[in-house]
Amino acid sequence: MYRCDKCEKTWTHPLKACIFCGEELKNEVSEQFSVIGFTEVFIPSIKNETVPYYVFLLEDEHGNKCLKKSYQKFKIGDKFDYGSSNKDNTVFGVIGTGLLGMQICEYLITSGYVTVLKTRDPLAISTIQSKITARLQKSHTLESAKEILKLLVVTTSFSEIKSCDLIIEAVPEKFELKTEVFRELSKICDKKTIFSTNSSSLSISKLATFSDRPDKFIGIHFFNPVKRMDLVEVVVGEKTSEETTNRIVSLLTNLKKKPIIVKDSPGYIVNRLLLPQINEAIIMLEEGIASKEDIDTAVKLGLNHPMGPFQLADYIGLDICLSILEVLDKESTMIKNKPAALLYKMCEEGKLGIKTKEGFYKY
Amino acid sequence: MYIIGAGRTKFGKLENSLEELAYEAISKSISDSELSIHDIDAIYVANFLGGPLNGQLHLNAMISSLIPGCHLPIIRVETACASSSSALNQAIIALNKFSNILVVGVEKLTGSFLIPPIDAIAMAEDKTIDKDNGLIFPAAYALIAQRYFREYGGTHETLEKISFLNHSNANLNPLAHFYQKKVTMDMIRDSKMASTPLNLFDCSPLSDGAVAMIISNEKQSDRNVRILSSQIASDTISIVERKDITSFKATKIAARRAYEESNLKPTEIGIFEVHDCFTISELIALEDLGLCDKGNGKYLVENDMISINGEYPVNTDGGLKANGHPIGATGLAQIFEIVTQIRGEAGKRQLPDIESGLAQNIGGIGGTSGITILGCL
Repeated sequence: MYRCDKCEKTWTHPLKACIFCGEELKNEVSEQFSVIGFTEVFIPSIKNETVPYYVFLLEDEHGNKCLKKSYQKFKIGDKFDYGSSNKDNTVFGVIGTGLLGMQICEYLITSGYVTVLKTRDPLAISTIQSKITARLQKSHTLESAKEILKLLVVTTSFSEIKSCDLIIEAVPEKFELKTEVFRELSKICDKKTIFSTNSSSLSISKLATFSDRPDKFIGIHFFNPVKRMDLVEVVVGEKTSEETTNRIVSLLTNLKKKPIIVKDSPGYIVNRLLLPQINEAIIMLEEGIASKEDIDTAVKLGLNHPMGPFQLADYIGLDICLSILEVLDKESTMIKNKPAALLYKMCEEGKLGIKTKEGFYKY
Repeated sequence: MYIIGAGRTKFGKLENSLEELAYEAISKSISDSELSIHDIDAIYVANFLGGPLNGQLHLNAMISSLIPGCHLPIIRVETACASSSSALNQAIIALNKFSNILVVGVEKLTGSFLIPPIDAIAMAEDKTIDKDNGLIFPAAYALIAQRYFREYGGTHETLEKISFLNHSNANLNPLAHFYQKKVTMDMIRDSKMASTPLNLFDCSPLSDGAVAMIISNEKQSDRNVRILSSQIASDTISIVERKDITSFKATKIAARRAYEESNLKPTEIGIFEVHDCFTISELIALEDLGLCDKGNGKYLVENDMISINGEYPVNTDGGLKANGHPIGATGLAQIFEIVTQIRGEAGKRQLPDIESGLAQNIGGIGGTSGITILGCL
């Protein structure tokens, strides 16, 4: 709140001077809020699709009010720390600065959580910071982007990540690379730290054996773009404890995501359903059954998908599609997922989709 | 100043388009008057969600298309749910320049949309402070209800009775959204929760509809009704920017000015049309309009004082709850009911000897309030 003491007026916007007397406005910072009212909302709306949720009417020591949405229930009179909707001070660690790693980081700090991002290259630190600033500025003012950025720590050393409550590993989808990360983490991390991987297809139970804490090891599979895709697959390994699973589900709910739980298995739910479909579409194209445009139209209008399989494959990246299909083909005995020859050919030619400006379509 | 012609469509989930609804109300108001369309020299059109919901803005030109070749000055007025009382207010001021002004309020809330209505309606709130924190409209009024009950006592039963009274009155109004809908106290009490403590029957419906009025400085027939006062006051857009949320300051201030201008006390007025977008808003209106002291609204409800045969008849047309809430037309619908009652043309719900009436039309969560007082003198 911005206050003019002389005129006893307040503003919610960061304005400079009082329009009544011209004096400079004072930024009144709230230490703590109390709940003075609440309602449990049962009607879904855009960005509030998951119901019911609570809206709390809060008042600070100056009598200033604000609202806060939460899935957790509080009573009238309860104290409330603004900034964290869940009274928890979870610190996140993110390893990997690829597309998903950066997006997860951005999402966490925008949600108000301190996040430590680990990269291998010391020269990349400033590039990463300016990249995230640029991304934040798309939906925030420079001032508030700077505020949010204060929650981000970028580092090259594993030691800075050791006391995080939850570490999300998001390095490239290579088994050896991931096992190396968890071996390192096991050496240095606090006992309380939960390990998680954003892997889209690898076995959680196998990865967990390379760590010292299979009970505190879980898969947290975010989808691209993280900001807009509400779904998160929580992948439970053989030894993942119930406590770990519950903690992750509640954390993700507070992050306004919709977690679903799936047992460790090749491709989990989404990719196991999606990739065979993309593969079949490519085989159909190879066989000359229909044009790619018509297959996309058929899936969009006939199955009511927002994108057709070729558009989606280009968006995901054909190399990633291929690697997931190879895992599905190798690991699952029930279904046949031999990747289409055309997919191999396009990957070899470097036509990987939107990121290389050409896949099934040109961009 | 007089209302010399009035017309409205049925309210409800209708087949008609925005244009067809406006055309019907305008045509009816013209045939209700002594004038022809050629005598109209300016138009004010009120509408809230044509843009975000129907993908249609520039409504003044849309109205011009309905009266081809006239090239009149036409202006759209938008103050959320108070749009049409605000449009009337502006038209009255324009009577300095024009002789006969048509005011039309129109809204199309059902059918196909650009975005869901619940999100479009939330545009009347502060985007950042309210909507981004999940405070959709029913939730805002729910917070008000909870604060009200804590500070002044009372229970949800009072709100249930308000809902029941409005539905009973709507059963006497063939143009109402819920005409002939049989509603019991049990149905109201047991309806689905919307936002605690408000349930479905505390909420007004999404209605389509249009209302039109013609105003003039000169009385042209015995059926003309006099405008004694039209006042608009405003307040902060979000409830969190206010000290007290159990009362609407904009209503109190506009009402005080209207009582002064009309030289009437609240207790001297024959009929009240109040803005019950949610039942709690009707309870608060009774207090804000000065029919009782703060916190005593519930006694007026419990003692049948606001029933159709009570001392202060409220919402004889069924109110927003049951007559319907075609947002941009709602304020004029309230005024339409008062005009009809004063003329003695209200059929089964006609009250004896109505000489004056007050309409209270709120925009948003009390960010705008329009008070109109009509009389037969």
